[in-house]
Amino acid sequence: MLFNTPQFFLFLAVVLVLFYASPRPLRKHILLAASYFFYASWNYKFVPLLLSLTVIDYSAGVWLEKAHTSARKKAVLILSLSANLGFLGFFKYFNFLAGNLALALDKPPDAFFRDIVLPLGISFHTFQSISYVVDVYRGEQQAIRNPIDYALYICFFPQLVAGPIVRARDFFRDLFHWQRPTQADVSRGILLMAIGLAKKMAFADQFAKIANTYFGNIQGNPGMLAAWSGVVAFGLQIYFDFSGYTDMAIGMAKLLGFHFPVNFRRPYLASSITDFWRRWHISLSSWLRDYLYIPLGGSRHGKWKTYRNLILTMLLGGLWHGASWNFMIWGLYHGALLAVERGFRGNRAIHEQWDWLYPFKAVLTFALVMIGWVFFRAADLRQSGQVLGQMFHGGSSHSLFLHWQRDLAVLALILAIGEERLEWFDRLADSPALVYGSALALVFFLTELFGVMDASIPFIYFQF
Amino acid sequence: MTASSKIASSKSRRLVLACILAFAGLFGLDALLFRTNIYPSVLEPESTTGQFELILRREQQAQAHYGNNLVVTIGNSRFAWSAKVLDDLGQKAAYTLRDAGLAGTDPRAWYYMLRDLDPTARRYRAIAIGVDDYDDEDRGPHPEDDIRNLHYAIARLRLSDVIEFSASFSSPALRWQTFRGALLKGTVYQTDFLAFLAHPGPRRALVQLYRQQAGDWAYTYVESSHSMEGLKIDWATLGVTLPPGADQNQRDTVNSFLAHQPDEQTGKLYAFHRAWFGRILDRYRGSPTKIIFLRLARGPIPRPENLVRKPFSSIREFASRPNVVLAGEHAFDSLEHPEFYRDGMHLNRAGVEAFSVMLAEEISRILGPSEQTPDRM
Repeated sequence: MLFNTPQFFLFLAVVLVLFYASPRPLRKHILLAASYFFYASWNYKFVPLLLSLTVIDYSAGVWLEKAHTSARKKAVLILSLSANLGFLGFFKYFNFLAGNLALALDKPPDAFFRDIVLPLGISFHTFQSISYVVDVYRGEQQAIRNPIDYALYICFFPQLVAGPIVRARDFFRDLFHWQRPTQADVSRGILLMAIGLAKKMAFADQFAKIANTYFGNIQGNPGMLAAWSGVVAFGLQIYFDFSGYTDMAIGMAKLLGFHFPVNFRRPYLASSITDFWRRWHISLSSWLRDYLYIPLGGSRHGKWKTYRNLILTMLLGGLWHGASWNFMIWGLYHGALLAVERGFRGNRAIHEQWDWLYPFKAVLTFALVMIGWVFFRAADLRQSGQVLGQMFHGGSSHSLFLHWQRDLAVLALILAIGEERLEWFDRLADSPALVYGSALALVFFLTELFGVMDASIPFIYFQF
Repeated sequence: MTASSKIASSKSRRLVLACILAFAGLFGLDALLFRTNIYPSVLEPESTTGQFELILRREQQAQAHYGNNLVVTIGNSRFAWSAKVLDDLGQKAAYTLRDAGLAGTDPRAWYYMLRDLDPTARRYRAIAIGVDDYDDEDRGPHPEDDIRNLHYAIARLRLSDVIEFSASFSSPALRWQTFRGALLKGTVYQTDFLAFLAHPGPRRALVQLYRQQAGDWAYTYVESSHSMEGLKIDWATLGVTLPPGADQNQRDTVNSFLAHQPDEQTGKLYAFHRAWFGRILDRYRGSPTKIIFLRLARGPIPRPENLVRKPFSSIREFASRPNVVLAGEHAFDSLEHPEFYRDGMHLNRAGVEAFSVMLAEEISRILGPSEQTPDRM
């Protein structure tokens, strides 16, 4: 059930009706049942895996709180992390390691391959589980005693398959002190869902056509402009796809009385790579910061260790996305850029001031991010090399964008700058019925005119 | 009521009103662009919708030029005849024949075509419908699930058609697609609309060209002179001997239209024809317009009758209605020779010429002497 299908909207409508028609104590049970149904509708065979991880981490939380010695606590933590990372590693990295081992032993590439299907959303719910267990270990989070509550935290359907990665304290604050959503929440929730749907169908899926055309036939689309337009199309696709998904997730959570953190904050207007990572997939970058970068030492042990920690964190962030050299290089590339920026900036805070230099910095950052996307999108390192070669040494060619596709991109840029400077979203959500309703109508109409229908282009981040 | 509950209630009203406005706005914008002539006036003329609309408009305009001896023919690409051939013969025909047929269409599309072509159901002396057979031989499991109908008829669909039209498909996915499309036409026009946005200038020029020339092109169109002479079919084995130099289209049409194993006879085509021919006939109930069914020539070599038992026949059942006439079942059998066909199912130039004359004669024979109201050409 993709978020942009009629089946999903029917499912959501049924859940909302059941949720609000039920007595309060029953509501979390309804959400839990709906979440497992949602997950099983993708592949019911992975429900036992999800349940196993839930049981392991729920038990780990309780044991951690009961353990009196730090050695015992550490042992429980290690057990839990091993289980989480073991499952993640097996499903996500086994074939990658097997392929490289075969290569090293001069055997056929598929000599040690196993037919492994990646469970949907495993990267997301594993990170959520880890953050919970670590928080309990650190004493920053009380262990959850009710297994229903914990299971719901792990499998809550709006964010189960592609985030945002929600911290336990935020989720349980909403669950334990649940309040009926205010009219403002409902206004924002509906608007977010409509905008998320438009981002996915009218923007991401349209740009996907250009990106797929280019990356599906690089030789057939030679030249610098073709390469840049293909890569920019992918950059736009992945942004609209992922932020559209999370907008919908945040929106529907609001309708259910939950408040998820913002996951994207107009990342392509960033003035530096550091700024970019404060705006892109914020729930992942803050997770990496809190559970990897800071435990590695952060910036507390001199500049070289800071650089090392940045690079290592981003390298693992890249690897989180998928088991391939391309993702590792993508992570390494961003880590290196962050380290270089850190080298130039030192310990000074980054400036986000909109001065005359800002557009230049934003364009440079955008270009650097696009270069990174080449590794993210290309099938392998060879193809990445071909695309980069065309981007910097390709002959003259033409853009793959049609007029209206370029106009869509410009419209998105105008809306993004407008939100950055004027915060139109909140104003719109609180505006009179006529303005709010007209805006919704326009978003729906835009989706009708430009939305890719019936093609079932999956959300990119579902594969992670 | 406390002040806070008053505020909450007013906010709820705002949200409900906004949602109503949002949907009203969506339907309003869709209707403004696609249910008026704003967008249909720049439709790609060579698209399915564009061709359908072009023919409809052409025939609507033609109605003004003729008296009450007008007969319109409707069918798919197998119902090919030429008005120019009849004119070139120089004989004063008793009835003026006009062609509202379009390749790939079926009775469902014809219903929507005729509904807007003849809103009073009295404009024509007769409507001649070309069919492959008076019996309903099932070919494939779901004759009702041809999604092309949505694209042919989209500009003709009204809000009152949404349920009926979408319910006429059997697959749930197609029902949803057609429901959504009939309700929000932009979802159907989208491909055409995006192509227009990509090249608006050339599109406008093409539309202009078609408006000026399409009538002449249709009138002067000359069918291919390719022939299927040399075609042989062994009906026992369904083995085909194609004419020397036969192309892929000729091979495919022979295999799909003639030399195929019979399908299971489920009665689905019968039900489909009952529904849509029935709807056409219901519109003309009590009308002076005659509905003439014509069994077209069955192909370069007709399939033997004993290949499949055909237990269903909607058209024969309709024959009992007062204004329905079935033309002689074998009226066009003399065209069932390979030399009259360009492939396995379509008449070639010689076939079209011969058929045009036979068609005019058959219609005159059925309708009898015309009332001779002069044409207003």
